[in-house]
Amino acid sequence: MLRSIAGATMRLLPIAIVLAIWQAAASLRLVDTAFLPAPAGVARALGDLLSGHEIRDNLLVTLFRALAGLVLATVSGVWFGIGMARSWVFNAIVSPLVGATYSLPKTAIVPLLILWFGIGSTMGILAVYLTCLLPIIVQTYHGVRATPAVVIWSAQSMGAGPRKMLWQVFLPHALPDIFTGLRIALGFALVVAISAEMIASTSGIGRLIFMYGESGAYDYMFAAVASVVIAAFLIDRALLRLSARCLRWHESQAVADIGAAV
Amino acid sequence: MTSKISIRGVSKTYNSDAGEVAALQGTDLEIRQGEFVSLVGPSGCGKSTLLYIVGGFLASQGEVRIDGKRVDGPGVDRGIVFQEYALFPWLTVRRNILYGPRVRHLPAAQCNAIADRLIDVIGLRGFEHRYPRELSGGMKQRVAIARMLAGDPAILLLDEPFGALDAQTRETMQDELLRIFLTMRKTVLMVTHDVNEAVYLSNRICVMSARPGRIVEEFAVNLDRSGTREAIVLSDEYNRVRNQVWLSVRRQVAPAATRA
Repeated sequence: MLRSIAGATMRLLPIAIVLAIWQAAASLRLVDTAFLPAPAGVARALGDLLSGHEIRDNLLVTLFRALAGLVLATVSGVWFGIGMARSWVFNAIVSPLVGATYSLPKTAIVPLLILWFGIGSTMGILAVYLTCLLPIIVQTYHGVRATPAVVIWSAQSMGAGPRKMLWQVFLPHALPDIFTGLRIALGFALVVAISAEMIASTSGIGRLIFMYGESGAYDYMFAAVASVVIAAFLIDRALLRLSARCLRWHESQAVADIGAAV
Repeated sequence: MTSKISIRGVSKTYNSDAGEVAALQGTDLEIRQGEFVSLVGPSGCGKSTLLYIVGGFLASQGEVRIDGKRVDGPGVDRGIVFQEYALFPWLTVRRNILYGPRVRHLPAAQCNAIADRLIDVIGLRGFEHRYPRELSGGMKQRVAIARMLAGDPAILLLDEPFGALDAQTRETMQDELLRIFLTMRKTVLMVTHDVNEAVYLSNRICVMSARPGRIVEEFAVNLDRSGTREAIVLSDEYNRVRNQVWLSVRRQVAPAATRA
């Protein structure tokens, strides 16, 4: 218990030092607080914003878009990945498409999505979906492909048919990789949801940040950014917990706290 | 008397970057019900390939028949244990053992009875709910053997089952396998590179040539296995057969070594 408190303190220390230097630079007028507001000012703005609905409502809209896109991408990406890993024909069709679109920054097609779907949640979710799909597909594919022949053969010799192989062998074997893909995709999901809102939107935390920036309310802008950082951090921790729970059996869990290693 | 396993004219070529590689050529072998047959030979001679073909995991030229019926894929009549255990790491010891019975939808009471009995047979009571990553190599291999036995297959296929274990554990596991074989009277085909292990366990030993492999010599092993390991290993018959098999394998390794 004491050790974990000490560990948490150790991890917070660098953040505290950066904030202290930032505050000192602002107090000593080494930076122009009009452009880089002091942490105290940001904290005041954050308190002000949290007492109203603005941050909460916009953040919820953004999180909805990011997580909806992420969930849709995970559900379909896993099937794409399994299909590619297990079917030669399916792989021949899908693999070139995945290869061609993998390195495309998906925000580049946001204007096109706006043209097709207008501004709003559909466009945002779709942009997130397209971004998250690829890491999930690629990780699932690798996880399934890496299933050792001896494990497949063992299951077959015990009477597992193709459907049982899928659910009871390939999917569990790929699960650690799927979680890796999920964590990569989670980072992308927030970036793309917020970027899409900055490009064109009537709601969302991205639009709010952009609006405060435009109007020169930098302390409020930083406060909105801080709320995103906190929300993203909490979601990431929740995902790590979920993955540690689902992967109790996995070798990686021999290392007690994966959170501490990241 | 008809054979339990009948291997006729089985050959296998692999496609590699260097072109076609012949792994097995024209192999014939008849195995009777209740026999324990070992395949030994130089590494890369195709003995595991032959075992996988009998398992139905690899296609081949020629034919393999079990009880006169042609093998065209894996089947629950043939259980298999691999050197690398091949347990399902996401399942506990108990669930690994029950994989086969559950896939075949046996009633829960019967599943529990099978698991309880086999956990005792392999001496892993208290470890039922551990995951494979928490077990030693010897324990993992015990689970793999229990998992194979849970399906009650008529034929056991063993692919260097104790090759990854230390010498002490290996001897213990050989004794356990011998005990299981003597009480359950299964038909066994085992691949091993350990001549002592082959002589200690088998009724018959087939020596294979270097690649492309085929069976070049056979040795019958007529040992009284009712005694202790010491009594068996120190017997004249054990040492006579062991020396013969060892020299035979040496003859197969030597030409391969000069070629390499």
